[in-house]
Amino acid sequence: MKKYIMVATMLAALIPGLVIAGDSPAPDNAKAYLIWPKNGATIKGGKFWARFGLRNMGIAPAGIEKKFTGHHHMIIDAELPPFDEEIPADRNHVHYGKGYSEGRVKLAPGKHTLQLVFADHDHIPHNPPVFSKKITIYVPAN
Amino acid sequence: MKTITTSIALAALIFGGAAVAGDSPAPKNAYLYIGWPNNGEVIRNNNFRVWFGLRKMGIAPAGIEKRMTGHHHLIIDAPLPPMDEEIPADRNHLHFGKGQTETRITLPPGTHTLQLLLGDYEHVPHNPPMMSQKIIVTVK
Repeated sequence: MKKYIMVATMLAALIPGLVIAGDSPAPDNAKAYLIWPKNGATIKGGKFWARFGLRNMGIAPAGIEKKFTGHHHMIIDAELPPFDEEIPADRNHVHYGKGYSEGRVKLAPGKHTLQLVFADHDHIPHNPPVFSKKITIYVPAN
Repeated sequence: MKTITTSIALAALIFGGAAVAGDSPAPKNAYLYIGWPNNGEVIRNNNFRVWFGLRKMGIAPAGIEKRMTGHHHLIIDAPLPPMDEEIPADRNHLHFGKGQTETRITLPPGTHTLQLLLGDYEHVPHNPPMMSQKIIVTVK
Protein backbone atom coordinates (compact mmCIF):
# COMPACT_ATOMS: atom_id res chain seq x y z
CA MET A 1 0.00 0.00 0.00
CA LYS A 2 2.78 2.37 0.97
CA LYS A 3 4.44 1.61 -2.33
CA TYR A 4 1.30 2.55 -4.30
CA ILE A 5 1.00 5.85 -2.49
CA MET A 6 4.63 6.62 -3.24
CA VAL A 7 4.17 5.85 -6.93
CA ALA A 8 0.99 7.90 -7.07
CA THR A 9 2.70 10.86 -5.42
CA MET A 10 5.62 10.59 -7.79
CA LEU A 11 3.32 10.50 -10.81
CA ALA A 12 1.35 13.49 -9.57
CA ALA A 13 4.58 15.43 -9.16
CA LEU A 14 5.75 14.49 -12.63
CA ILE A 15 2.63 15.01 -14.71
CA PRO A 16 1.84 18.69 -14.05
CA GLY A 17 5.36 19.54 -15.26
CA LEU A 18 4.95 17.43 -18.36
CA VAL A 19 2.47 19.26 -20.58
CA ILE A 20 1.62 16.85 -23.32
CA ALA A 21 -1.73 17.91 -24.76
CA GLY A 22 -4.59 20.37 -24.73
CA ASP A 23 -7.63 20.37 -22.46
CA SER A 24 -10.19 18.79 -24.81
CA PRO A 25 -10.61 15.08 -24.12
CA ALA A 26 -10.43 12.41 -26.81
CA PRO A 27 -11.64 8.82 -26.37
CA ASP A 28 -8.74 6.43 -25.79
CA ASN A 29 -9.73 4.44 -28.88
CA ALA A 30 -9.90 7.47 -31.21
CA LYS A 31 -7.78 7.18 -34.31
CA ALA A 32 -6.89 9.51 -37.19
CA TYR A 33 -5.43 8.02 -40.35
CA LEU A 34 -4.93 8.76 -44.01
CA ILE A 35 -7.30 6.65 -46.08
CA TRP A 36 -5.55 7.88 -49.19
CA PRO A 37 -2.80 8.26 -50.30
CA LYS A 38 -1.15 5.14 -48.95
CA ASN A 39 2.34 5.19 -47.49
CA GLY A 40 4.87 4.88 -50.33
CA ALA A 41 2.44 5.96 -53.06
CA THR A 42 3.75 7.59 -56.24
CA ILE A 43 1.47 10.34 -57.52
CA LYS A 44 1.99 11.59 -61.06
CA GLY A 45 1.46 15.33 -61.39
CA GLY A 46 1.37 15.83 -57.61
CA LYS A 47 -2.30 16.89 -57.47
CA PHE A 48 -4.70 14.75 -55.50
CA TRP A 49 -7.50 14.56 -52.94
CA ALA A 50 -6.21 13.39 -49.59
CA ARG A 51 -8.92 11.47 -47.72
CA PHE A 52 -8.99 11.80 -43.97
CA GLY A 53 -10.01 8.87 -41.80
CA LEU A 54 -11.29 9.25 -38.26
CA ARG A 55 -12.53 6.58 -35.85
CA ASN A 56 -14.52 6.91 -32.64
CA MET A 57 -14.69 10.71 -32.84
CA GLY A 58 -16.58 13.29 -34.87
CA ILE A 59 -15.90 16.38 -36.94
CA ALA A 60 -17.03 19.88 -36.01
CA PRO A 61 -15.97 23.09 -37.75
CA ALA A 62 -13.32 25.25 -36.03
CA GLY A 63 -14.81 27.42 -33.32
CA ILE A 64 -17.50 24.87 -32.38
CA GLU A 65 -16.89 23.48 -28.91
CA LYS A 66 -18.40 20.02 -28.64
CA LYS A 67 -17.09 17.04 -26.69
CA PHE A 68 -15.24 14.40 -28.71
CA THR A 69 -15.18 16.48 -31.88
CA GLY A 70 -12.54 18.48 -33.68
CA HIS A 71 -11.23 19.21 -37.15
CA HIS A 72 -8.43 17.85 -39.30
CA HIS A 73 -5.04 19.44 -39.92
CA MET A 74 -2.56 18.11 -42.42
CA ILE A 75 1.12 18.47 -41.72
CA ILE A 76 3.07 18.50 -44.99
CA ASP A 77 6.84 18.04 -44.99
CA ALA A 78 7.14 18.99 -41.33
CA GLU A 79 7.44 17.48 -37.87
CA LEU A 80 4.51 17.28 -35.46
CA PRO A 81 3.92 20.65 -33.77
CA PRO A 82 3.72 20.95 -29.94
CA PHE A 83 0.57 19.25 -28.59
CA ASP A 84 -0.25 21.93 -26.03
CA GLU A 85 -0.43 24.87 -28.44
CA GLU A 86 -2.53 26.02 -31.36
CA ILE A 87 -1.40 24.26 -34.54
CA PRO A 88 0.39 26.80 -36.77
CA ALA A 89 -1.34 27.80 -40.00
CA ASP A 90 1.07 27.92 -42.93
CA ARG A 91 1.88 25.96 -46.06
CA ASN A 92 3.21 23.08 -43.96
CA HIS A 93 0.23 23.04 -41.58
CA VAL A 94 -3.05 23.11 -43.47
CA HIS A 95 -6.23 23.63 -41.44
CA TYR A 96 -9.58 22.14 -42.46
CA GLY A 97 -11.67 24.32 -40.19
CA LYS A 98 -14.79 24.07 -42.35
CA GLY A 99 -15.16 20.47 -41.22
CA TYR A 100 -13.78 18.84 -44.35
CA SER A 101 -12.99 15.14 -44.48
CA GLU A 102 -10.94 15.47 -47.69
CA GLY A 103 -8.44 18.03 -48.90
CA ARG A 104 -7.05 18.92 -52.32
CA VAL A 105 -3.26 18.82 -52.24
CA LYS A 106 -0.76 20.06 -54.82
CA LEU A 107 2.87 19.06 -54.36
CA ALA A 108 6.03 19.74 -56.35
CA PRO A 109 8.08 16.83 -57.72
CA GLY A 110 10.09 15.04 -55.04
CA LYS A 111 9.62 13.16 -51.80
CA HIS A 112 7.02 14.45 -49.33
CA THR A 113 5.61 13.53 -45.96
CA LEU A 114 1.95 13.82 -44.89
CA GLN A 115 0.52 13.46 -41.40
CA LEU A 116 -2.89 14.27 -39.92
CA VAL A 117 -3.37 15.91 -36.55
CA PHE A 118 -6.87 16.29 -35.17
CA ALA A 119 -7.46 19.35 -33.01
CA ASP A 120 -10.21 21.01 -31.00
CA HIS A 121 -12.26 24.19 -31.55
CA ASP A 122 -9.18 26.27 -30.70
CA HIS A 123 -6.87 24.26 -33.04
CA ILE A 124 -5.16 22.63 -30.04
CA PRO A 125 -4.66 18.83 -30.14
CA HIS A 126 -6.79 16.72 -27.83
CA ASN A 127 -5.80 14.81 -24.71
CA PRO A 128 -4.62 12.23 -25.60
CA PRO A 129 -3.52 13.75 -28.94
CA VAL A 130 -5.08 12.12 -32.01
CA PHE A 131 -2.73 11.99 -34.98
CA SER A 132 -2.03 9.67 -37.87
CA LYS A 133 1.06 7.82 -38.86
CA LYS A 134 3.38 9.99 -40.97
CA ILE A 135 3.42 8.71 -44.53
CA THR A 136 5.89 9.32 -47.34
CA ILE A 137 4.78 9.84 -50.94
CA TYR A 138 6.64 10.51 -54.16
CA VAL A 139 5.85 12.93 -56.98
CA PRO A 140 7.87 12.03 -60.08
CA ALA A 141 9.55 14.77 -62.17
CA ASN A 142 7.52 15.56 -65.30
CA MET B 1 -38.77 40.64 -71.51
CA LYS B 2 -42.38 39.71 -70.97
CA THR B 3 -41.53 36.09 -71.75
CA ILE B 4 -38.75 36.13 -69.18
CA THR B 5 -41.05 37.59 -66.54
CA THR B 6 -43.67 34.97 -67.32
CA SER B 7 -41.04 32.22 -67.13
CA ILE B 8 -39.83 33.45 -63.74
CA ALA B 9 -43.38 33.63 -62.44
CA LEU B 10 -44.04 30.14 -63.74
CA ALA B 11 -40.84 28.77 -62.25
CA ALA B 12 -41.66 30.37 -58.91
CA LEU B 13 -45.11 28.80 -59.06
CA ILE B 14 -43.75 25.36 -59.91
CA PHE B 15 -40.92 25.38 -57.36
CA GLY B 16 -43.11 27.01 -54.75
CA GLY B 17 -45.61 24.19 -55.03
CA ALA B 18 -43.14 21.31 -55.13
CA ALA B 19 -40.99 21.42 -52.04
CA VAL B 20 -37.90 19.54 -53.15
CA ALA B 21 -35.39 20.33 -50.42
CA GLY B 22 -34.77 22.03 -47.12
CA ASP B 23 -33.66 25.61 -46.55
CA SER B 24 -29.95 25.03 -45.93
CA PRO B 25 -27.87 25.67 -49.05
CA ALA B 26 -25.29 23.22 -50.36
CA PRO B 27 -22.55 24.12 -52.86
CA LYS B 28 -23.53 22.99 -56.37
CA ASN B 29 -20.18 21.24 -56.83
CA ALA B 30 -20.24 19.35 -53.54
CA TYR B 31 -20.06 15.57 -53.85
CA LEU B 32 -21.24 12.86 -51.49
CA TYR B 33 -20.26 9.23 -51.98
CA ILE B 34 -19.67 5.94 -50.18
CA GLY B 35 -15.89 5.45 -50.07
CA TRP B 36 -16.27 1.79 -49.12
CA PRO B 37 -17.85 -0.66 -49.84
CA ASN B 38 -17.88 -0.31 -53.62
CA ASN B 39 -21.03 -0.88 -55.61
CA GLY B 40 -21.43 -4.63 -56.18
CA GLU B 41 -19.02 -5.54 -53.37
CA VAL B 42 -19.35 -9.05 -51.98
CA ILE B 43 -18.61 -8.92 -48.26
CA ARG B 44 -17.60 -12.06 -46.39
CA ASN B 45 -18.06 -10.64 -42.89
CA ASN B 46 -21.56 -9.55 -41.84
CA ASN B 47 -20.01 -6.83 -39.67
CA PHE B 48 -18.18 -4.32 -41.84
CA ARG B 49 -17.01 -0.74 -42.03
CA VAL B 50 -18.70 1.88 -44.19
CA TRP B 51 -16.67 4.93 -45.05
CA PHE B 52 -18.40 8.24 -45.87
CA GLY B 53 -16.90 10.51 -48.56
CA LEU B 54 -17.74 14.20 -48.84
CA ARG B 55 -16.06 16.77 -51.04
CA LYS B 56 -16.31 20.56 -50.99
CA MET B 57 -18.59 20.60 -48.00
CA GLY B 58 -17.94 20.18 -44.28
CA ILE B 59 -19.22 18.11 -41.38
CA ALA B 60 -20.81 19.59 -38.28
CA PRO B 61 -22.57 17.70 -35.50
CA ALA B 62 -26.40 17.73 -35.40
CA GLY B 63 -27.73 20.87 -33.76
CA ILE B 64 -24.85 23.04 -35.00
CA GLU B 65 -26.08 25.52 -37.58
CA LYS B 66 -23.18 26.41 -39.83
CA ARG B 67 -23.37 27.28 -43.52
CA MET B 68 -22.29 24.61 -46.00
CA THR B 69 -22.06 21.88 -43.36
CA GLY B 70 -24.19 18.91 -42.38
CA HIS B 71 -23.98 15.40 -41.01
CA HIS B 72 -24.20 11.98 -42.60
CA HIS B 73 -27.21 9.66 -42.66
CA LEU B 74 -26.90 6.12 -43.95
CA ILE B 75 -30.00 4.70 -45.60
CA ILE B 76 -30.06 0.92 -45.54
CA ASP B 77 -32.49 -1.11 -47.65
CA ALA B 78 -34.87 1.82 -48.09
CA PRO B 79 -35.74 4.44 -50.72
CA LEU B 80 -34.79 8.08 -50.20
CA PRO B 81 -37.05 9.82 -47.68
CA PRO B 82 -38.80 13.13 -48.56
CA MET B 83 -36.23 15.87 -49.20
CA ASP B 84 -38.12 18.59 -47.35
CA GLU B 85 -38.56 16.83 -44.02
CA GLU B 86 -36.45 15.60 -41.14
CA ILE B 87 -34.82 12.30 -42.06
CA PRO B 88 -36.44 9.49 -40.03
CA ALA B 89 -34.32 7.80 -37.37
CA ASP B 90 -34.79 4.03 -37.38
CA ARG B 91 -32.88 0.89 -38.35
CA ASN B 92 -33.12 1.84 -42.03
CA HIS B 93 -32.03 5.45 -41.50
CA LEU B 94 -28.94 5.75 -39.33
CA HIS B 95 -27.97 9.23 -38.10
CA PHE B 96 -24.36 10.25 -37.50
CA GLY B 97 -25.08 13.37 -35.52
CA LYS B 98 -21.77 13.29 -33.67
CA GLY B 99 -19.99 14.24 -36.88
CA GLN B 100 -18.68 10.75 -37.66
CA THR B 101 -17.17 10.04 -41.09
CA GLU B 102 -17.30 6.25 -40.90
CA THR B 103 -19.18 3.50 -39.10
CA ARG B 104 -19.42 -0.24 -38.59
CA ILE B 105 -22.69 -1.98 -39.40
CA THR B 106 -23.95 -5.53 -39.12
CA LEU B 107 -26.26 -6.87 -41.83
CA PRO B 108 -27.72 -10.35 -42.30
CA PRO B 109 -26.60 -12.41 -45.30
CA GLY B 110 -28.22 -11.33 -48.56
CA THR B 111 -28.39 -8.35 -50.87
CA HIS B 112 -28.61 -4.89 -49.36
CA THR B 113 -28.69 -1.30 -50.57
CA LEU B 114 -26.73 1.54 -48.99
CA GLN B 115 -27.06 5.24 -49.71
CA LEU B 116 -25.79 8.35 -47.94
CA LEU B 117 -27.90 11.45 -47.46
CA LEU B 118 -26.51 14.57 -45.86
CA GLY B 119 -28.83 16.43 -43.49
CA ASP B 120 -28.49 19.87 -41.95
CA TYR B 121 -28.43 20.73 -38.23
CA GLU B 122 -32.12 19.78 -38.08
CA HIS B 123 -31.67 16.55 -40.09
CA VAL B 124 -33.36 18.06 -43.17
CA PRO B 125 -31.60 17.54 -46.54
CA HIS B 126 -29.91 20.56 -48.14
CA ASN B 127 -30.87 22.54 -51.21
CA PRO B 128 -29.83 21.03 -53.57
CA PRO B 129 -30.06 17.75 -51.61
CA MET B 130 -26.74 15.96 -51.15
CA MET B 131 -27.04 12.25 -51.69
CA SER B 132 -24.70 9.51 -52.81
CA GLN B 133 -25.29 6.92 -55.46
CA LYS B 134 -27.31 4.03 -54.05
CA ILE B 135 -25.07 0.98 -54.01
CA ILE B 136 -25.83 -2.72 -53.76
CA VAL B 137 -23.73 -5.02 -51.62
CA THR B 138 -24.00 -8.72 -50.99
CA VAL B 139 -23.26 -10.11 -47.55
CA LYS B 140 -22.24 -13.77 -47.70
